Amino acid sequence: MTLEIQNLHVRTEDREILHGVDLTVKRGETHALMGPNGSGKSTLANTLMGNPTYEVTEGRVLLDGEDLTEADPDERARAGLFLAFQYPATIPGVSVANFLRMAVNAGREEPIKVKEFGVLLRKNVDLLKITGDFTKRYLNEGFSGGEKKRAEILQLAMLQPAFAVLDETDSGLDIDALRVVSDGVNAMRGDERGFLIITHYTRILGYVRPDFVHIMLDGRIVREGGAELADELEEKGYEFVREEVAGSAG
Amino acid sequence: MPASRDSVGALVEERRKAALEAYEAEPVPTWRRSGFWTTTLRGLDLDALEPKRYDEGLPELDLGDEEHAALIVQCGANVVHTDVVDERITVMPLEQAVEEHEELVREYFAKRLPHDEGKFAAGTAAFWTGGVFIHVPKNVQIEKPIQVVWLIDEPGTAQWAHTLAIVGEHSEVKIREFFRAPDFEGQALHSGAFELYALPGAQVDLAHYQDWGRGEVYDLSTRRVEIRRDARVKWVPIHLGGRLTKQTLDIITAEDGSDMKHTGMYFTERDEHLDLFTTDKHEAGHTTGDTVWKGVLTGESRASYEGLIHILPKAPEVDTYLQTHQMLLSPRARGDAIPSLIVEVDNVKASHGGTVGELDEEQIFYMMSRGLPRAEAVRVLVEGYFEEVVQRLEDPGLEELVRRRIAEKLKGAEDQVREFIGERAEAV
Repeated sequence: MTLEIQNLHVRTEDREILHGVDLTVKRGETHALMGPNGSGKSTLANTLMGNPTYEVTEGRVLLDGEDLTEADPDERARAGLFLAFQYPATIPGVSVANFLRMAVNAGREEPIKVKEFGVLLRKNVDLLKITGDFTKRYLNEGFSGGEKKRAEILQLAMLQPAFAVLDETDSGLDIDALRVVSDGVNAMRGDERGFLIITHYTRILGYVRPDFVHIMLDGRIVREGGAELADELEEKGYEFVREEVAGSAG
Repeated sequence: MPASRDSVGALVEERRKAALEAYEAEPVPTWRRSGFWTTTLRGLDLDALEPKRYDEGLPELDLGDEEHAALIVQCGANVVHTDVVDERITVMPLEQAVEEHEELVREYFAKRLPHDEGKFAAGTAAFWTGGVFIHVPKNVQIEKPIQVVWLIDEPGTAQWAHTLAIVGEHSEVKIREFFRAPDFEGQALHSGAFELYALPGAQVDLAHYQDWGRGEVYDLSTRRVEIRRDARVKWVPIHLGGRLTKQTLDIITAEDGSDMKHTGMYFTERDEHLDLFTTDKHEAGHTTGDTVWKGVLTGESRASYEGLIHILPKAPEVDTYLQTHQMLLSPRARGDAIPSLIVEVDNVKASHGGTVGELDEEQIFYMMSRGLPRAEAVRVLVEGYFEEVVQRLEDPGLEELVRRRIAEKLKGAEDQVREFIGERAEAV
């Protein structure tokens, strides 16, 4: 049971951004994808979810063997894929609770019972230490950066997807919020779920220890290893990796 | 009107005569504005329409709320049903009030509605029959709404309408006016006048709900609300249907300390044409205003919203703003949203803004990424867009009615919306 990214080439209107990415995440595994700004991390995240802004020119995305390369975003979601957005959209007039109910129901044959939904929501609200009238507010409207990230993780917890991609969920979080979000992610780790954590910094990896680390530079994955690779990166920085890659190419 | 003590009936007749002259002297108007916008009545066969009278009786109605303080229904040219539950208030045909409430009619009737403001205002002043009179005495609090219904039951109808509402000092009341017609084939006209006077300290929660259905109903109306000292009016006009609508909606803070909240919406479809001109007029100082209008256009419809804030020279310390938003859901729809500002005094706070846009592809992608199919994402976004206005109703029954109609209209437009949004998505 895996999420497989095979030789993925992706372009926008003006240029190619990913030049052949291969990455496999098995259920039960947590992978970190690291890289500097502009390396193509967010492009990969958006392409996995089917953002129409990006065009796949070559390669495939498979989920448990099913080819999703051409699938609409809603089909991908129903197939078990989830993206926690780096910059989630604001949905005026739709409360967090209402949106969650719609999203939960989108993945079910029969709509969830009001009571069951209430219990599930309360459990996850507690898990993420969410207080006040948060779930009554319009989704992301007037939310702080930290509140937006928390709303993303709340959706993740409610939807329980097979594979979750976290696109820079750690950026902009203060240390307390980072801890809460990390605890939430850790609580959801397990044999039935795979994670791809995209990050610029190693900070979150101190809380959510990855099984594998991949480093992306200029639209390619250039280094792979275990959690120790993140530690090395923390110490030496992206420039070191860049020089190393340039050296081996020369 | 002359200061003599002529009977009120005679004064009303005099006004009719003067108005008839103005009506006959004026050609059928065409409204043009710079840019592409024109509202024309070329398609309306006015001579083929006539007032129609109906027997008394209560037609089947869905007004959202089950209970009322009073209900008055005019079908065609006459009032067919009146039911006043709360005995503290007066609700009756305006014709009857001219006989029975001379002093109030003398003081307020047409106070803000000159008979010579154009052909259809003149026509309304000359030809109105039946009509609605509402009087809430002072210091009365009424929980349930006063409901006024204007029905056009068949094509060929000309309905000339006049509503006069007076809300006494420190009274609190909800007033709803409904404009309804079954889906028929053929033309009809509603030419309406509405005036409301909120006396000092009064709190009025006013809503207009227009849904003329799929028939060719032309609605040419003027509505004015006057707010006196320290009174407050919250006005929510809702436009959900009509072949052609041309309306002037004015809300006037006439004395110090008065406050307006003016929140409207429209949804146009098929070949409907909507032309709204609203004015937030501040005649006195220390008054506040808050205006938000939102519209959605589908099909080949046309909608223009022009919203003016007008602050007169004797109105310092005004604090007001106006926002207008419009969303296009069809490549063949055309819209216009124009906020404007005339300020004739220093020391006021007034701002305005407007947007005309399409659904945001980023929002759609976000919702789809949570498993919602595109059509549902669009529906939720449009409903959410209107929610700010719908919630201002603060009336669960009526809110539900509005939400249901929006959902039905979106369902009806689903194919073209999918085509429109889908094409844009692929073009990226």
